Amino acid sequence: MPLGLTLAPKVLASKTLTSWITPVAHWYANLAGYRRYGLKYDDLVIEEYEDVQKALNRLTPREQYDRAFRMKRASHASVLHNVLPKEEWTKPEEDVRFLSPLIREVEKEDKERAMWDTVYVSRK
Amino acid sequence: MLTARASSRTVQRVARNFATVVDSAGVKVAAVDNNQPTASVTFLIKAGSRFESKPGVAHGLKNFAFKSSAKRSALGTVRESEIYGGVLSASLSREHLALTAEFLRGDEPYFVDVLTSFVTSAKFARHEYNEYVAPTVESEIEESKFNPGFQAVEAAHAVAFHNGLGSSLLASPHNSITHEDIRSFAQSAFARDNIAVLGTGIDQATLTSLVEQSLSKLSATSQLSSPASSYFGGETRLQAHGGPQTVFIGFGSAGIPSPEIAALAAFLSTTPSVKWSQGTSPITAALPKGTAVEVVYLPYSDASLFGLLVQGPTGPAVKEAGKAAVQALKTVSNGLKGDDLKKALAKAKFAAASAVDSREGLLSVLGSKVLSGHESSLDATLASLDKVSENALAKATSSLVKTKPVFVAVGDVATLPYVDELGL
Repeated sequence: MPLGLTLAPKVLASKTLTSWITPVAHWYANLAGYRRYGLKYDDLVIEEYEDVQKALNRLTPREQYDRAFRMKRASHASVLHNVLPKEEWTKPEEDVRFLSPLIREVEKEDKERAMWDTVYVSRK
Repeated sequence: MLTARASSRTVQRVARNFATVVDSAGVKVAAVDNNQPTASVTFLIKAGSRFESKPGVAHGLKNFAFKSSAKRSALGTVRESEIYGGVLSASLSREHLALTAEFLRGDEPYFVDVLTSFVTSAKFARHEYNEYVAPTVESEIEESKFNPGFQAVEAAHAVAFHNGLGSSLLASPHNSITHEDIRSFAQSAFARDNIAVLGTGIDQATLTSLVEQSLSKLSATSQLSSPASSYFGGETRLQAHGGPQTVFIGFGSAGIPSPEIAALAAFLSTTPSVKWSQGTSPITAALPKGTAVEVVYLPYSDASLFGLLVQGPTGPAVKEAGKAAVQALKTVSNGLKGDDLKKALAKAKFAAASAVDSREGLLSVLGSKVLSGHESSLDATLASLDKVSENALAKATSSLVKTKPVFVAVGDVATLPYVDELGL
């Protein structure tokens, strides 16, 4: 399971919970530090899974290029033992989930395939 | 006893036409039931390659058939159809795209739903185009490179009709088709006046009721159009290797295909009536060893292409065979003698009638008539062949031979003949 469990849909479903938790989430995401290296949250997903590889192939060529660029820039910054200059940090509105919906789609396909592989058919 | 036999005979009677054509909310629905054990439903859509907005989209759409729709995924369609034991297929011609489901009687609600949900709510997802559709498109293009006969006929269409009917059935090897192109082509093609629903082994009323609800969601009129065909003619030579040396000598004409040309094709046809025999075609006797001539007759809604496909091991052999074939064609233009006309007409009638016996033939012959709203029976075709006279055939043939021919050479172009070397 590359994505792990998430409570986000439940939180987003309730208005009060969203208004309480959103500031905390923003504080946490900024604290995590990946934005200072110009990365997006979905760049942190472990890619050594078949599902993730398949999802990565489904990105548009532009998205694939941008992802590789962010990775390269971040590893260069890591080599220099310094974060990027502030204007290159990922802005919160840029930090969108571009990969996880695709991974979920691939997981859904896997699930459906497993269902059809084990389906029991009976004549009515 | 006698009455019992008579009644059983009526049950076994094979209907040679779609009994009724019902126009339900703008969709033409026609069904024929010969009490066969399996049933089939075909959506015949006027979305052949002549209507395509960008070269190759029709080929892409054909390969997109039965992929994800709002109701079920591509995998779900395949697995569920396997559980029911049906076969789903798509085929493309220059004028029509046919989506067919063949299944056991009684499974029609599921299979008609598969067809309607594709037509009304296909997703045309980008990843499906990249993962399933583009590879099959590519492999079909690759396969066609090893079929010089197919290549010759494709090139002949391009030379003969330029646009419209001239556009290739297959996408080009380095195409720039995207899933968006296919989606917009499908959206303009899937309209109520552009689809004919044809059923075999299924009751007309059942089919209408299954289709009516779901297809009413479609837009009423199609936005696709194709210019009226006109015939040009010309010559082209394609370098190829590996296959037999191939030459196509064709004569096209714009306008509704005439029965005279069908009779001519039947007369020249080199397919023998008895297996392993040489047949009585005037072409076969004069052919050098190892060469073959195939008579190609392709009628379309507003044009037709008649031609001789000559294949052989070497260029000079093909030249000899081509000369023999052209000579035979020229003899017909001087008129047929005696029983030859009767033979030609009988063969043409048999070819027309036996085509309708098979499911694919029934769809290709009568389906287009249902779609265009003409009378969908075989009788009209047979009656028109009966009216062909000796004079009319000779006249049609001589005027055909006088038109500028389409000449295509595929193979070793250095040794293959030019059109003037064949006596034209």
